[in-house]
Amino acid sequence: MSAPLRAVGTALPRVDADLKVTGAARYTVDVSLPRMLHVKVLRSPHAHARLAHIDARAAAAMPGVAAVVTRDDLRGLNATYGYFIKDQPIVALDKVRYMGDMVAAVAAETEEQAVRALERIEVRYEPLPAAATIEAALAAGAPTLFETPAPGIVPAYGTGASGFKDPAKNVCYRFCYTTGDPAAFARADHVFKDEFRFSRMQHYHLEPFVTVARVEGGEIELWSSCQNPFPLRKELARIFNHPEQNIRVHVPFVGAGYGAKNNCKTEPVAVLLAKKSGRPVRFCMTQEENFLTQSQHAAILRLETGVTRDGRFVARRSEILLDAGAYSDASPLVAEKAGYRINGPYRWEHIDSRCDCVMTNTTPAGPFRGFGGTQASWASESQIDMIARRLGLDPVAVRKKNLLKLGEAYVPGESGMDSNLAEGLDLVCREIGYGRGKRTKGRGIGIAIGFKDSGGVNKPAEAQVKATTTGGIIVNCGTVEIGQGIQTAFTRIVAELFACPPARVSYAPINTDATPFDQGTNASSAIVVMGQALERAARDCIARILDFAAAQLRCEAKDLRLENWSVIKDNQAHALAPMIMRHFGGTGFEFVGRGFFKPETDHHAPLEAKCVSWEIGWGAAEVDVDEETGRVTVCKLVVSGDAGRAIHKDACRGQDEGAAIMGLGQALFETMRFDGPELVNIAAAKYRVPLASDLPETFRAVTQEQGHGPGPFGAKGMGEAGMLPVAAAIANAIEDAVGVRITSLPLSPEKVLAALDAKRRGPDSWAGPDRPYEKP
Amino acid sequence: MSAAVAEIIAISLTLNGRAHSARVAPQMMLADFLRDACGLTGTKIGCDQATCGACTVLVDGAPLAACATFAWQIDGCTVTTIEGLATNAALDPVQEAFKAKSAFQCGYCTPGMILLAKALLAANPSPDHAAIRDWISANVCRCTGYQMIVEAVEDAARRLREAAR
Repeated sequence: MSAPLRAVGTALPRVDADLKVTGAARYTVDVSLPRMLHVKVLRSPHAHARLAHIDARAAAAMPGVAAVVTRDDLRGLNATYGYFIKDQPIVALDKVRYMGDMVAAVAAETEEQAVRALERIEVRYEPLPAAATIEAALAAGAPTLFETPAPGIVPAYGTGASGFKDPAKNVCYRFCYTTGDPAAFARADHVFKDEFRFSRMQHYHLEPFVTVARVEGGEIELWSSCQNPFPLRKELARIFNHPEQNIRVHVPFVGAGYGAKNNCKTEPVAVLLAKKSGRPVRFCMTQEENFLTQSQHAAILRLETGVTRDGRFVARRSEILLDAGAYSDASPLVAEKAGYRINGPYRWEHIDSRCDCVMTNTTPAGPFRGFGGTQASWASESQIDMIARRLGLDPVAVRKKNLLKLGEAYVPGESGMDSNLAEGLDLVCREIGYGRGKRTKGRGIGIAIGFKDSGGVNKPAEAQVKATTTGGIIVNCGTVEIGQGIQTAFTRIVAELFACPPARVSYAPINTDATPFDQGTNASSAIVVMGQALERAARDCIARILDFAAAQLRCEAKDLRLENWSVIKDNQAHALAPMIMRHFGGTGFEFVGRGFFKPETDHHAPLEAKCVSWEIGWGAAEVDVDEETGRVTVCKLVVSGDAGRAIHKDACRGQDEGAAIMGLGQALFETMRFDGPELVNIAAAKYRVPLASDLPETFRAVTQEQGHGPGPFGAKGMGEAGMLPVAAAIANAIEDAVGVRITSLPLSPEKVLAALDAKRRGPDSWAGPDRPYEKP
Repeated sequence: MSAAVAEIIAISLTLNGRAHSARVAPQMMLADFLRDACGLTGTKIGCDQATCGACTVLVDGAPLAACATFAWQIDGCTVTTIEGLATNAALDPVQEAFKAKSAFQCGYCTPGMILLAKALLAANPSPDHAAIRDWISANVCRCTGYQMIVEAVEDAARRLREAAR
């Protein structure tokens, strides 16, 4: 980090600023094709039922209707999809498994006509008992969601990790991780057992799930608001038995996702209707439908943690139950991550974790910012605080005693920490004023460290960089601009390497025919995985240019460097454009560089390969608890992530702040409320998300640049970390303030008040899950 | 096409500074009118329940949810969408401020937020932090955590005051 940088870290506006502040930015919702039809789907009113009969003939004859699809149209297709387990049908086959499950779809000239046609579809359901919660699905006599197991795979895990498909009734996947000797528990002075509950949120991305699709001349072409176009193409090819080279996926700007826009949502139905109607179709869900399509995972987390009396962590046994909803979606992967991350960035002698995906008759749960790490950080960071207080120790000192050091492996076979954890902890403690100032009644401070492995698992990425005759640079890679500012980050990185003004570098639109392969814009992987591929592509392109120039100047490439589209030799600049024209002729030329990155496959590493990077979110909250009402006011919230090197400081700050406020909503009020299997607070008018008025009076996000990241210029991914510590920091602050511990989210006034009441009456009267505890 | 339409209503309005007339179905929403009939896709539909504010436009200077307003209701009104702010390729000061402060991420709420802020600054040229927070609480931004938007509105107010001097 010695040389001054001219593009990286500068305060220049984001490259998408002009388009986004003028309304000119085009999203999939804005795509319109001539003769385009509109899609509406029929959704199940039952949480669980056998689909006894369905007849869509009357609907097909309705005015304006071009095509109707039901299960009869899935014959000959691979009709189910999913990440590890292919269990979700395009439209219901034999059963419906949640209220809102797609049963049939209509494409008509207008949405209104499509809605009218839906009313004419004859369906007879035979209702079945439903399991609406984790407990209900695991109870003896619970209804079975899948009578026959769906096809699926278990990854080839390495040392200590294992996966099991269908290990128990209504459990579609189990992830286990263990290391060290279970006898370590005997060396602990205390073993604490605690249970935590995590409630689920909806992603609430403002651009809905939407696809525009056409099928013409054997080609499937679609525009989709999706964050992983290449896996989507592969899945569509498999579903429709269609050659991959004849499927083209375009991804314009994406109106956010927070995890939701991975994998199939609207796409299979849209393609099916486009095929059947022979016309382009647009399937744009309403926000209610978004809520019926994907959610975060609710969870029950049981931790058994052995520690010495001076607060050293010895061993931990964890049992995590995730509410996967009605279809597996990304649940096996989320289970893998929750089970792997549950121990936090600390040193243990023994770890034994198990995470089950429990199928319930509710909205399918899928990827959500934090990806199991949010659930894990909530439970682990709450329990660490509880343990410290039980032992009469300072919670920050206990954390410090056990934190992994910079470079220290997370677990055997893993990569080392690429952040100095204590440095970040000191920073948020300083910012919040931890241990300073005098205590005020009802006020308290809590600290937490959110933690996740980042960069995905064993993830490959390819990038291409082109340089035109006149020195225009075009970045071509599959990372989707979903709000995080990746077009800005990547073009700045390339401008830095080319030593040219950032305005010289453009970011090509994504289309799977022309764009090099990427596995998906997720897992905070763009900077650390694609970023490394991109750096190699840029350097490859530059090497080609310098080789060319060296031949022209009759010298060696190592004696040349590139600057402002000139090559510099012995402090003399030689303009490249005329040199290229002289050699290649009047039409000029393009130099193309390619770069590839994938972590090395490593069967000793627990998860197929060593983790590329570690994403840490340090958080501190100061709360004021009204003991009369139980209302918690977060007066001050500090979060900090480590960008390694901030490629664009505002974008980094925005990621941390946005994530933190999402965490604040999760902590205090935001949750999907179910009455049995029915989602009660569906969509904006009933579902509460944080507004500007919810901002804490003091709110700070501090972007650290510790410089240890594997990405270009020492950068790390940091889009999720800001969310991870917030709920636990607030729960810890509540205990600090008024001496009650809430172990379930959200931290509502009702729960706080009940806990305060029970505390006043004494521990014996305590009935709820948030029981007080005795000091050992 | 739909045969259910009882009548077509003729409307005229000032749209982004220009006289405009159109014939609309009685059930057509203003958001659809702007997006589909006028090609002004900068107005975004988020919740379609007049709650998230992504579809905010200015009608006679006041912010309004276009997703919950019938097109015929704006007959005779002056409507400003995000496309109507920049003049001669120069950004409006509020747009400049959102750009300079990176007060957006995915950008989907941005047109609505900018128009909401325009209305605030027209009514109150020097709002403090609390006033800005209150006002922009009408709309949802799921990406930014709002603080950078608050700072952008503050910056926009400063830009507007300086321009007025």
